[in-house]
Amino acid sequence: MEIFNALMHGFALAITPVNLLWCLVGCALGTAVGVLPGIGPAVAVAMLLPITAKVEVTASMIFFAGIYYGAMYGGSTTSILLNTPGETASMVTAMEGNKMAKSGRAGAALATAAIGSFFAGTIATVIVTLFAPYVAEFAVKLGPPEYFMLMLLAFTTVSAVLGKSTLRGMTALFVGLAAGCVGLDQISGQGRYTGGIPEFLDGIEIVLVAVGLFAVAEVMYAVLYEGRVVDSQNKLSRVHMSARDWKRSIPAWLRGTAIGTPFGCIPAGGTEIPTFLSYATEKKLAKGADRAEFGNQGAIEGVAGPEAANNATVTAALIPLLTLGIPTSNTTAILLGAFQNYGIQPGPQLFTTSAALVWALIASLYIGNVMLLVLNLPMVGLWVKLLKIPKPQLYAGILIFATVGAYGMRQSAFDLFLLYGIGVLGVVMRRFDFPTAPVVVGMILGPLAEAQLRNAMSIGEGSAAVFFQRPMSITLIVIVLAVVILPRIAKAMSDRKLKAAGG
Amino acid sequence: MTTSPTAAPNADLWPQTFVGVGVLLVGLLLAFGAIGISSEAGYGGVGPNFLPWVVSIALTICGAWIIWEARSGGFREMEASGDWPKPDWGGFVWVSAGLLLNAALITAIGFILSCTLCYLLAVQGLRRAAGQSMANSPRTWVMDVVTGLLISAPVYWAFTKFLAINLPGLTNTGWL
Repeated sequence: MEIFNALMHGFALAITPVNLLWCLVGCALGTAVGVLPGIGPAVAVAMLLPITAKVEVTASMIFFAGIYYGAMYGGSTTSILLNTPGETASMVTAMEGNKMAKSGRAGAALATAAIGSFFAGTIATVIVTLFAPYVAEFAVKLGPPEYFMLMLLAFTTVSAVLGKSTLRGMTALFVGLAAGCVGLDQISGQGRYTGGIPEFLDGIEIVLVAVGLFAVAEVMYAVLYEGRVVDSQNKLSRVHMSARDWKRSIPAWLRGTAIGTPFGCIPAGGTEIPTFLSYATEKKLAKGADRAEFGNQGAIEGVAGPEAANNATVTAALIPLLTLGIPTSNTTAILLGAFQNYGIQPGPQLFTTSAALVWALIASLYIGNVMLLVLNLPMVGLWVKLLKIPKPQLYAGILIFATVGAYGMRQSAFDLFLLYGIGVLGVVMRRFDFPTAPVVVGMILGPLAEAQLRNAMSIGEGSAAVFFQRPMSITLIVIVLAVVILPRIAKAMSDRKLKAAGG
Repeated sequence: MTTSPTAAPNADLWPQTFVGVGVLLVGLLLAFGAIGISSEAGYGGVGPNFLPWVVSIALTICGAWIIWEARSGGFREMEASGDWPKPDWGGFVWVSAGLLLNAALITAIGFILSCTLCYLLAVQGLRRAAGQSMANSPRTWVMDVVTGLLISAPVYWAFTKFLAINLPGLTNTGWL
């Protein structure tokens, strides 16, 4: 009942005309960035971070959440209609969705993606509503050693478990941690790696890194390597699902939601694993004629499941962000940055100190999901028109917005030079297949983890034994070791099996 | 790592080696910087120089390891480098010029003009990279200037007037 009352207060705050408008603009903008290739939710939120200086906190968080959410809906449109996914989360959707569109079923694919997103997003929001307060209550009991271990877990999963090469993931993580070191040390106030440049005393802005790595690098990459790539666009058919489509989609949505939600809750980051898992599950469970559609005409389950999993993960990722202050993806890392701009540190106290804000944000998720369903089903034709913008004009236009984000943050032309340098770094990383999420997560979480480590060591009076004397902390150490070691043992075993089978 | 190190010759041998050397140098540079950071640890036993040392040592090791991977058959778990198209350096120079001139001129000539210039150079570079023969025609140039203005001016007004974010102008009127 207490939760229900709190949620109702949240609705009262979120439903004011101004906040509704922010939510709508955020959802529309998010859908647009999701649809447009070359620009994702992380960079869209990053470019708009300067508004935190002027816009009231509840309004801007509702706005950012709308972008975060909307991009997930919009991304599926691009991956179904174009041969390039709009953002990584919809890579799996692209596999079956694109095939469905090629065989004239684009409308059904778009419909199952949008309705599935709504379905999963809403269920996951209910789970956030019900569970986040309990997680927060539990998290209050955690001390610095546990927090440090949780952050270590986030670092490990984002760099060593996701992505292809652990070496390149770790390199990216340490580059991010190094960037996070620049500036004044939070505990002693001493300058680190400032190189005598006054701008560096304030540290490197997260906006710069996100906009540089994602937007500027994307443009540079496009001009270097993708000039002559021609996208083929599939024809949009009537957005409609037959009775048989519904019958096949509903169980896939349910399974997708069930797979996606737990992945969002744990600091294991990213939507790649749950979406792939959901796809594999659907493929395995399909029978007869439905099974034959996978990889050929395109099976609707292969769109419905992963899209639901994607949205469930993204929504549930708000639980670790709001209750522990631990981001598990690029976009949540930048949302954390937005909170920090207001001097708010997400964590267990957030539910008591900023209860109004948190509940308004959660209420806005319910509202946003409804808005997005309307924006994406009847109005999908409008968004598809965005795909007609020619690439040169689109990418050059992105640079103008990148300038606003980078310059607007602290009005310094120095940042624009730095932005260029980070862009070049981003191109090199992309060319040599280094993941970028560890850089952003490392940079945002690095200073927080360092502070927790030093506090923990102070509690232990200078001895690292403190990490081994507390049950929660040692459990987390075991989990960290398990996520590093188990996948490798599994891989070695399957390799051996393959070898044995092969000869 | 199941790929045999002696498989196909690594077409990316030198670029990959340079990446490794770059990472290694950053690691060493950070270590050099870490020497100057105080180790004053207080009660914790862990001072402000602890994380910098961890990061610099880790990056140095990563750099060395990357060099080793590059020299022994190429980066692991990566698609064959032969598939990469030749980079279009000409287009890259146009885009770079746009971005760097923007950084250099923004405070002098204001957001709108500076961003229009950036847009113009970038779109020209992208058109050339895409092999558009019309890129050089005066009509395209005029069109690109107009498009640049049509994007940057409303952006400038929206951010300065509605959101009250300071962006540099050529004049103090807030309109240009």
